[in-house]
Amino acid sequence: MQIFPKSLNFLPLVAALGVAVGGGVVTFVFVYYFSPDNLQVGYAPEQPVPYSHRLHAGELGMDCRYCHANVERSYEAMVPPTQTCMGCHSLVQTESARLEPVRESWETGDPIEWVRVHKIPDHAYFDHSVHLSAGVGCVSCHGRVDRMEVVSVQSPLSMGWCLDCHRDPMNYENPNGTVGAFRPTDRITDMTWNMEDATEAERQEVAALFRRAVPPEQCSGCHR
Amino acid sequence: MSKRLPYQVPAEASDRPAIWRSLGEKAEPGRRDRTSVEETSVQVPRADGASGSSFVPLGGLKAKAEAKKATKTNGEPSSRVGRRQFFAVGGATAAAVGLSGCLRRPAEHILPYSQAPEYTVPGIPLHYATSVSHRGEALGLLVESHEGRPTKIEGNPQHPASQGVTDAQIQGRILDLYDPDRSAHVLQGGGDDPTEASWSAFDAWWREKAEELEASGGRGLRILAPPTDSPSFLRARRALTERFPEARVHTWTPVSYSQLREGTRLAFGEPLHALVDYARPRAILALDCDFLGSEPGFLRNARRFAAGRRMRQPTDEMNRLYCVEGTLSLTGMNADHRLRLAPSQVERYLRALAAKLADTPGVQLRPAVAAAVRGAEAPAGVPAAWIEEVAEDLAADLTAEERPRGRRRRRGAVVSVGWRQPAHVHALAHAINEALGSVGASVFLYDPADAEEPAHAQSLGELAEAMGAGEVDTLVMLGGNPVYDAPADLGFAEKLGQVDTTIHLSSHVDETSRASTWHLPMAHELESWGDHRSLDGTIAIQQPLIAPLRGGRSDAEVLAMLGGIRAWRGYHLVRRTLREMTGPDGFDRIWRRSLHRGVAAGAPRSRPRGAAVRDAEVAAALGEHEPASGEGWEAEFLPSYQTYDGRQANNPWLLEMPDPVTKLVWDNAAYVSPASAEELGVRTGDLLTVSVEGGQPVEIAAFVLPGQADHVVSLPLGFGRGEAAGRYGADVGFDVYPARTAASLGFATGVTVRPAGGRYELVQTQEHHSMEGRPLSIDATLEQYRETPNFAQWRTPTPHIGPLWTQVDYTEPRPPAQGGVSYEPYPEVTPPRPDAPPRYKWGFVVDLTTCTGCSACVVACQAENNIPVVGKRQVELGREMHWMRLDRYFVGDDDQDPQVALQPVACQHCEEAPCENVCPVNATVHSPEGLNDMAYNRCIGTRYCMNNCPYKVRRFNFLDWHGDVPELRQMQFNPNVTVRMRGVMEKCTYCVQRIQYARIRARTETVVNDDGDVEERRIRPGELTPACAQACPSSALVFGDLNDTESPVHELAHLDRQYKLLAHVGTQPRTTYLGKIRNPNSEMG
Repeated sequence: MQIFPKSLNFLPLVAALGVAVGGGVVTFVFVYYFSPDNLQVGYAPEQPVPYSHRLHAGELGMDCRYCHANVERSYEAMVPPTQTCMGCHSLVQTESARLEPVRESWETGDPIEWVRVHKIPDHAYFDHSVHLSAGVGCVSCHGRVDRMEVVSVQSPLSMGWCLDCHRDPMNYENPNGTVGAFRPTDRITDMTWNMEDATEAERQEVAALFRRAVPPEQCSGCHR
Repeated sequence: MSKRLPYQVPAEASDRPAIWRSLGEKAEPGRRDRTSVEETSVQVPRADGASGSSFVPLGGLKAKAEAKKATKTNGEPSSRVGRRQFFAVGGATAAAVGLSGCLRRPAEHILPYSQAPEYTVPGIPLHYATSVSHRGEALGLLVESHEGRPTKIEGNPQHPASQGVTDAQIQGRILDLYDPDRSAHVLQGGGDDPTEASWSAFDAWWREKAEELEASGGRGLRILAPPTDSPSFLRARRALTERFPEARVHTWTPVSYSQLREGTRLAFGEPLHALVDYARPRAILALDCDFLGSEPGFLRNARRFAAGRRMRQPTDEMNRLYCVEGTLSLTGMNADHRLRLAPSQVERYLRALAAKLADTPGVQLRPAVAAAVRGAEAPAGVPAAWIEEVAEDLAADLTAEERPRGRRRRRGAVVSVGWRQPAHVHALAHAINEALGSVGASVFLYDPADAEEPAHAQSLGELAEAMGAGEVDTLVMLGGNPVYDAPADLGFAEKLGQVDTTIHLSSHVDETSRASTWHLPMAHELESWGDHRSLDGTIAIQQPLIAPLRGGRSDAEVLAMLGGIRAWRGYHLVRRTLREMTGPDGFDRIWRRSLHRGVAAGAPRSRPRGAAVRDAEVAAALGEHEPASGEGWEAEFLPSYQTYDGRQANNPWLLEMPDPVTKLVWDNAAYVSPASAEELGVRTGDLLTVSVEGGQPVEIAAFVLPGQADHVVSLPLGFGRGEAAGRYGADVGFDVYPARTAASLGFATGVTVRPAGGRYELVQTQEHHSMEGRPLSIDATLEQYRETPNFAQWRTPTPHIGPLWTQVDYTEPRPPAQGGVSYEPYPEVTPPRPDAPPRYKWGFVVDLTTCTGCSACVVACQAENNIPVVGKRQVELGREMHWMRLDRYFVGDDDQDPQVALQPVACQHCEEAPCENVCPVNATVHSPEGLNDMAYNRCIGTRYCMNNCPYKVRRFNFLDWHGDVPELRQMQFNPNVTVRMRGVMEKCTYCVQRIQYARIRARTETVVNDDGDVEERRIRPGELTPACAQACPSSALVFGDLNDTESPVHELAHLDRQYKLLAHVGTQPRTTYLGKIRNPNSEMG
């Protein structure tokens, strides 16, 4: 007596194919959609104060370091204290409703609860100051912040992305389309500087920075 | 690629003395393969099951013994997880892990300051200078603070008492700050159910009470406080006695240094403090004196002692330490000659020695003293050499015909007597030091901070008497815990109940607080203002780093308030005190400078005093006292190296720090000598009953300690506290205070010791991570060293074998740099390319000659690197997590009286690291600077690396040790070190976070010069110190860049007596050891 019909002879094959295709699809979905490229890039949370980098850094031309003042000294770029906002906004736009949380923070002493945009895992120790002194500019990781109404993540911020640049900084592709991670140390916050329009002296300096650069590739460079 | 040649394991040199870690190991060297229950300690069962049959957990025995003591868990996580639970949790975890990848992490907030505090750069820690009082000495400290959160304590290099170093207890104080069991409320009513009150309620109550007291001039008001070195406290005390002339102030602390002071009072006619510069004397005789471990000023002593012992070349001179003591102490472990002698017999010995010295030409012992000791005989059993040769050696400089050339000053000799000995023994030692010409040369006399300080036992006795007589109406106890630690014969606890109003200021609701009508929370030293005067008169300000987390006040504040000082708040109190000392001129500048440097500027410095020994008085005192006969058992009381007198009993770091001598954790025990243990018929872990005349009998587990004097039982204080200690310290160890009487604070004679029946589980780390008997700790005598300067190499020569693969040349700058081939342990430094970035080759040197074994490094490492505490049960299983371990070996064939060798071992950072080769996931790899990196987030926990490490320095997180750390304690975590989770391997990183910090600082100071060239400076020697080396009191640990030929580490790593641990294995460690040199007296035989 035959319990199983003959057509079931193909079942193992179909099953194997199904597993292969299904597995491939799942793998693809994970690799593509759940990668930092997809999950990190473009993250643009709403902030308690609709602060516009486009206005401040772009139109008004304020230097990044006016607010992120400790970026050259500390591993943190530092979100500015309310004090910094009030330095201008006690005179400018004093009645703006959108600045209400800032004034409230200033009066009560409670911090403004900004939402973190750029986040790397807790076991990775990134240092802003050393990148700046090595000649890596803001734009290399953060993109054209001066054009952003709402700040969004422009780079995957993944370990592979970090290492790509650490291994070959001269061929690193910046989010703004230019190539090469280094720039003269006095053009660090310049969003528009690029190698093609650089002067000879600037090229010399970039070459010197490259010769001296020791971007760590060992684990303890970032994991402690 | 060449094939590796089979390497020759050096045969054990036949002249090597036996080296062993415990009595069991000595009796049976092969026992490592057959752990046996006969053993002195609890053993780790081997995973291979070879010992499965013979391993009987002591727990079984304990159960038979009617479970005398409940097994303690000390809050460790339970490891009992059933199969079903495992699958349930495992499945849920897998599902959660799978899902977590799909979602973005929840929004995280950044909370910047509203108004940024001055100097604060978020992310960069600030360091503040402060000071604390510690074991009778004030220490200047630098405390690291991350955005207002203190995380780590270091010594202040500018302060003369700490000189930049700390000890284990000081390291532990940062954890005391975040102790979740600290008291947070004023309590009224006492007993088990006090009512919660507030400071304002207490203040209001006191205002009323004070009026009442003022009317009677303060009759019935008594103050009890530990001895103080704080000028502000003394000022407040003066104010109090002015306000209440009838009030009396008593002083008590259980580890009492009164006898030191009474000794100087007897010898010189006034209370002074004798501070010894141990770097100077050529010969040191320590009589029952643990000057490296527990006497006041021990940190300074350790530093100076090491300075007198450090050898750079064979022609250097070295001091010689003779030690006479009852139990093996830190000092005894470092002695060149050690005599086991009951503490009561020390006096007899010193008298005999003085008699011998009086007859030695050149020694000008005062005539009456010489007459008083004439004919004194040494205690029975003391070898004649210990009188004759020691006397000769002490007087050698005086009797020498001519001084060594080039030496302007005599080095002399010094005799030190410890706190347990009575005053007249101290006075005799001062007379001898004077006769040896040491007073003023290496012994310096300073005025004490508190000239009115009474003898503690007497002072507390008077108070207890007055309390018993009903003369005390109000008792204010500022700190201390007298209900727990007062001598048993005073009946302090019962008498306290007879006092109407008792007020106790303390950090915890402890035994005394529960018996008092008012409990006031005390602020931690890092939370309150204060000032401290060190033994040499330096005044340092205690500066708070954080507002009181639990709303406490300091003892000086409370006293000033009681004394009616209007500006009693700490800041004003301390400021005013300093102002009184310096005068008002430019005071603001002085104040800021004092805070900045940590040493008070402008205050008058005290200078060493000149004083002459009062011949007749000392002789009379010697005549009055008959030395004890030395028959029968004696008990001596030791401050614990872990909890001191019990005040740090709730500090898990210290409880888990292996005792430097016994390697016991989470317990204390009664130390007895092997011969006495045999006589009593007890083994380690058997319970003993110790009865001291006048005290109550105490039951305590025995610990058989080689080097202990026969018929002496040593009882470490500070354990056995009940629930009052807190969640970690509750029911740890045995309370021995009930055995102590006012007359026997140091030691007691006429003691009965008998087995109590029953066993108790003691856990030691001494045989954990054994390196299986290989030649590790290498030592030689000074003579041997001068004969064979490279003695350490000679015993385990560094092999010359071909490398397995291409070697990295660390001197060649990178990139590209992978082309160097050098197998030399120290390749010649090649000059780098002119525009090459600096390249570092980190190295570590351990000088075994100066390491005292104090274990400060162990706790410093724990504080810096977020190392978890695992609890007694887990240590028993061999799961302790300390990255740095201190091996203590006994050397020699004598069970009773061995020599000791100490060896700190952490990750050796091998060039050919065996751990790296076996990691299947590349979680441990080599860095271009030679560090053996550990990437925690990559580790999958196979533990292959741990098994393949010949040094046994890798530690595995068997459980989630950090899972249930209270939030308050989490504030201590170093934000620059990952907090590891379960299933992850970890080990010493050479403090890579500090290396990276220094490198980044050097890099950010990079400048582009006018020519367009980039100039980057090197990390300078001294800029970068790992936590262990920074804490080390004797500078035995040195870290630095081996590529920098100017650096101290480069010099030390190339000394003739350098050797690498297990060099023949071919791992090429980066850590270098310097062989231990002893300086025995060849005449001693």
